Amino acid sequence: MNIDYSQEAPAIAGRLSLSEIEELVARPLDTKPDRKYFIALSISGTLLLIGAVCLAFSFYYGIGLWGNNQPVGWAVPIVNFVFWVGIGHAGTLISAILFLLRQKWRTGIARFAEAMTIFAVMCAGIFPIIHTGRPWLAGYLLPYPNQHSLWVNFTSPLLWDVFAVSTYFTVSLVFWYIGLIPDFATLRDRTTSKIKKTIYSIFSLGWRHSSRHWQHYEKAYMLLAGFATPLVLSVHTIVSFDFAVSILPGWHTTIFPPYFVAGAIFSGFAMVVTVLVFVRKIFNLENIITMDHLEKMNKVILATGMMVGYAYGMEFFIAWYSGVQAEQFVFINRAFGPYAWAYWIMVSCNVIFPQLFWFRKFRRSIPVMMVIVILVNVGMWFERFVITITSLHRDFLPSSWAYYKPTIFDMGILLGSFGLFFTLVILFTKSLPVVSISEVKAVAEGAQPTHHGGHHE
Amino acid sequence: MHQTDFNYQRKDLPAGFSKFGFAFLIIGLILSVAAFFIDQSRAAFNYLVIYMMIVSIALGSLFLIALEYVAGADWSTPFRRIPEFFAGLLPLLFILVIPLLFMNHDLFHWAHEEAVKQDKILEGKAPYLNLSFFVIRTIAFIAIWVLFYFVLTRNSKKQDSTKDQTLTTKNIRYSAAFIPLFAITITFTAVDWLMSLEPHWFSTIFGVYYFSGTVIAALAAVTLIVVVLKEKGYFNPWITNDHLYSFGALLFAFVNFWAYIAFSQFMLIWYADLPEETFWYLTRWEGSWAIFSLLLIVIHFIVPYAMLLSQPAKMDPKRLKFISVWLLFAHLFDLFWLIMPNMQPLKKGYVFSWIDLVFPILGIGIVLTIFNFIAKKENLIPVGDPKLKKGINFHL
Amino acid sequence: MNKKLFGIAAIFKSPDDIIQAAKKTAEAGYKKFDTHSPYPVHGMERAMKLKPSKLGFITLVFGLTGAGLALLLMYWTMSVDYPMIIGGKPFFALPAFIPVTFEVTVLLATLSTVIGMITFFFRFPENDHPLHDTEYMKKVSRDHFGLVIEASDKNFDESKVRDFLKSLSPISIEEIYFSEKETFPVLEPKFVTFLIAVALVTSGVTYFALNKLLYMQPFTWMMEQQKLNPQQKSSLFADGFGMRTPVQGTVARGFLPYPYMGQTNPTEVLQNPYLPTKENLKLGEQKYLTFCSPCHGNFGDGDSRLRGQFPNPPSLHSTRAREFSDGMIYHIITNGQNIMPSYASQITREERWAIVNYIRVLQRAKNAKSSDLQVVNKETGNNASN
Repeated sequence: MNIDYSQEAPAIAGRLSLSEIEELVARPLDTKPDRKYFIALSISGTLLLIGAVCLAFSFYYGIGLWGNNQPVGWAVPIVNFVFWVGIGHAGTLISAILFLLRQKWRTGIARFAEAMTIFAVMCAGIFPIIHTGRPWLAGYLLPYPNQHSLWVNFTSPLLWDVFAVSTYFTVSLVFWYIGLIPDFATLRDRTTSKIKKTIYSIFSLGWRHSSRHWQHYEKAYMLLAGFATPLVLSVHTIVSFDFAVSILPGWHTTIFPPYFVAGAIFSGFAMVVTVLVFVRKIFNLENIITMDHLEKMNKVILATGMMVGYAYGMEFFIAWYSGVQAEQFVFINRAFGPYAWAYWIMVSCNVIFPQLFWFRKFRRSIPVMMVIVILVNVGMWFERFVITITSLHRDFLPSSWAYYKPTIFDMGILLGSFGLFFTLVILFTKSLPVVSISEVKAVAEGAQPTHHGGHHE
Repeated sequence: MHQTDFNYQRKDLPAGFSKFGFAFLIIGLILSVAAFFIDQSRAAFNYLVIYMMIVSIALGSLFLIALEYVAGADWSTPFRRIPEFFAGLLPLLFILVIPLLFMNHDLFHWAHEEAVKQDKILEGKAPYLNLSFFVIRTIAFIAIWVLFYFVLTRNSKKQDSTKDQTLTTKNIRYSAAFIPLFAITITFTAVDWLMSLEPHWFSTIFGVYYFSGTVIAALAAVTLIVVVLKEKGYFNPWITNDHLYSFGALLFAFVNFWAYIAFSQFMLIWYADLPEETFWYLTRWEGSWAIFSLLLIVIHFIVPYAMLLSQPAKMDPKRLKFISVWLLFAHLFDLFWLIMPNMQPLKKGYVFSWIDLVFPILGIGIVLTIFNFIAKKENLIPVGDPKLKKGINFHL
Repeated sequence: MNKKLFGIAAIFKSPDDIIQAAKKTAEAGYKKFDTHSPYPVHGMERAMKLKPSKLGFITLVFGLTGAGLALLLMYWTMSVDYPMIIGGKPFFALPAFIPVTFEVTVLLATLSTVIGMITFFFRFPENDHPLHDTEYMKKVSRDHFGLVIEASDKNFDESKVRDFLKSLSPISIEEIYFSEKETFPVLEPKFVTFLIAVALVTSGVTYFALNKLLYMQPFTWMMEQQKLNPQQKSSLFADGFGMRTPVQGTVARGFLPYPYMGQTNPTEVLQNPYLPTKENLKLGEQKYLTFCSPCHGNFGDGDSRLRGQFPNPPSLHSTRAREFSDGMIYHIITNGQNIMPSYASQITREERWAIVNYIRVLQRAKNAKSSDLQVVNKETGNNASN
């Protein structure tokens, strides 16, 4: 393998011209959906329906239908919540952190990843709300002056979650929309349908690609990226605080914040790769979402996977090193207790299998990639399962030890959340440009002035 | 002035480097040897602070080199020699660590066998915290670092004459192998030399905490040298604001990262309020240490954050020079705050002693002398690196 | 419709051309000109001589405002309005407030940046700009680069500008016109009807949700709990009573029976267990004023406020009353005396003893001796001889 390091690898392949890029991205919006589209939609819709039915039962009969019971009061719903919030981290990471790091390869995947963030956070939001048992009273979570003269508890990490997740959702949505404005304008100017034109005009707000506007726009994008970066870290940090501020062995450990963030990026990237592999194939976007991009994402998966592995190891070491008996017991119980199967699924999926990505051949092979990223998704779900369940099921009082099992309703709601996610993703692919047209145009070959290094004083 | 050709002329470092370095080294050496005779325990702790500072700069620099290779960054390639020179301190660690190993009784409570026998918890930790394993670990870690230092810099130097691109490929592979090893070794270095000073205390994030400070120290040292040399005309005319901005932005990012890690650790321990963890912070809240703790927040986070916040600030050479000196001091202060309260006579509060001022002089002397010694023999710019041209023409 | 010239536009092919064109236009002294490109072209700000964006100030101001407001809200609710001890944390638990402060800062900073940019810097939405729906806009939206010199520029001269643009060697030149703005009356019947419909639907839905929906199943299931209220029947027990008597030989907490009911003088066994501390006397005063003062008067003089509806009791300052032991007064409150009923069910044991202590205070105050005065003087350090 001989690489020429002195040349910059093009951010998009195939030497596409600006109008070719536009045609390629806008094509799914101009054509009628085919049969495959409806098949996919009906599968995800069925999943969504299963979830809806299970939720309806849960609302009517109460959350006694779920497996949650003493001592495992926090169970699969919280696992699902953390899982989905984690998935939601890749989008902002790609659009904000990679933007600040000036990684041009992000342009092809940023839009899609941001959309996935928004959908994943929507899925995540379901679980804490239904976990309260009375979701219609969720308004009490907001600090407003009410007739009870009571305020919310600002020292509770669960309330921090309310602020963190809702802020994250809002900022991600705004970030996404800001990126869409120029694309709406482009679509507005190319469409022939009057209805579409009206809709695009409304959403484009009258954008006219003016350089005077681009200047502020780029500044705003920079500022938003600057805020979204610490925000994305804070969200999963606060989710980790839900566990770590307690005094429960296995939950209370100081590495939780960065460990959760690394895990979130890990699972988020895995999910993005899972979906993008299909999207680039179905919509012929191989030149915009190139194999190089996928390889880079796989490198990130490898790196974050090892960070997660580092945290597993560190937890074990410090549990032993601390000399605290309860701490030591919890970790031995994790690896060799009744939930050892879950623990070893987690370790093998998250730490062992991604090691294959050390090899360039595997990083660039679609089938291998698919298997590994799906395993990573499974592994990360089990990571949250292990953290939540194993720390709870054997508490300080051996008489109350129990073996938790999720019920069919728990699993139905999880399926439903996947249904919601994929339904939204599928609808998104046909209604909005899945790749940012203006950003990809900006990194196309010959899109920037050749001599812009010559403006120095 | 579109840069297509780059003619590098070798030029010696400013004479100040060797003059100052030598003067600091001699003065520091005399005073610190005197300090050892006057108060061995205090001198030992102070020497540990300086030792860890040198580890931070040297190891952090090696990490920056590896990161550049792995991330495929090109803006930093023209300046890569500077972290390479700093990493040249690593072989010296074999010598620098010897006094510390001999003074283990002054430093480490767990090194007292009679104390361990009376303490159930320390007895439990004895399989890890015992002298022979400790020495083996320390030497092995330094050996790993030195190995990678030699491999990475040898290839880099070789490229100066051969311009062989496969050397870059090789270095990328070595760097990828180094980074996991780096994570493990730096973690256990932090556990051994900083955390085990208070052997009852434990925190899983501690390795990451030390890592965040390490990167700041190395980055600040590199930035300082780059700005100083730029002012002396070494990198002109091709060095741009965009290069400087990258340094400023990275410093800013890691200042935030440090604050994030430090806050996470404090927050979780404060909130859970378990006595087996809180006592570590309470020691640092005892008497005048409280002022140090509050100052740490100001020095290590608030001041650099405010100074680097705006975009023009990140590329202002004067400000960058000031802030890199400031951040080097901040990391030293952080290490001082981590290490000194563990000294028995200082447990109830800080008491001033001239010894505390002596060792930083020695540290500056060592770093400058070694830097100058290595830099004299090498090209200041990796002239054979294939990414050099991209790095020089780098624009945001 | 009147058509007016908005400006003259030129289309360029490559980013290099547009940068050159923008540079020359700015150098030629035109102020009201703009370039258009499908994506931001690097170096355009410098070519057009634009000032750096001031957007960052909005972000800074609103970010700081967010941080301040969040901290203030948390301080007020948690430390001032309804202070509660939670997890042993101080009322103003700063570390625990940092996450919410951070989130609110970010939320306010980002939203204000975006809203500020769109409304203040762009003056959007603006779908009636003259450039919309022109061939020019269609081209720059896709893959061309355009430059417009507006007619409102003070150096604008149609033929000169046209020549100037030609000298830049563009692909094409286009004149852009706009028509006089139409006016839209806000109070159009259709619009008003729409507003009324929206208002009606919103209020109707809100009314239904809050007043009807939340009183339907399953939303009411917290109110309909499966438990027995007092006096309800139970099928579980043979006698059909829902309420049960306590098990033989047990006593409910706080309901220890008083064993001297009906006796006249059990005082030798009743000892006052409470010292007349300040708190105890305060409690006694409060209870005395609530339960005793209606008949015995505020100061125990027997001056009832009941205006003869009930016979006045004797004064508590009589020698007999003063010579009662504490136990005797306690017994009278508990048991009743003559026509005074028992207060055992209204006043707890502790409160009864507190009342006894308070009555002692009243008695001593009404019958103070000069020796009491001496004690006071000694305690306050006053010179008694003055």
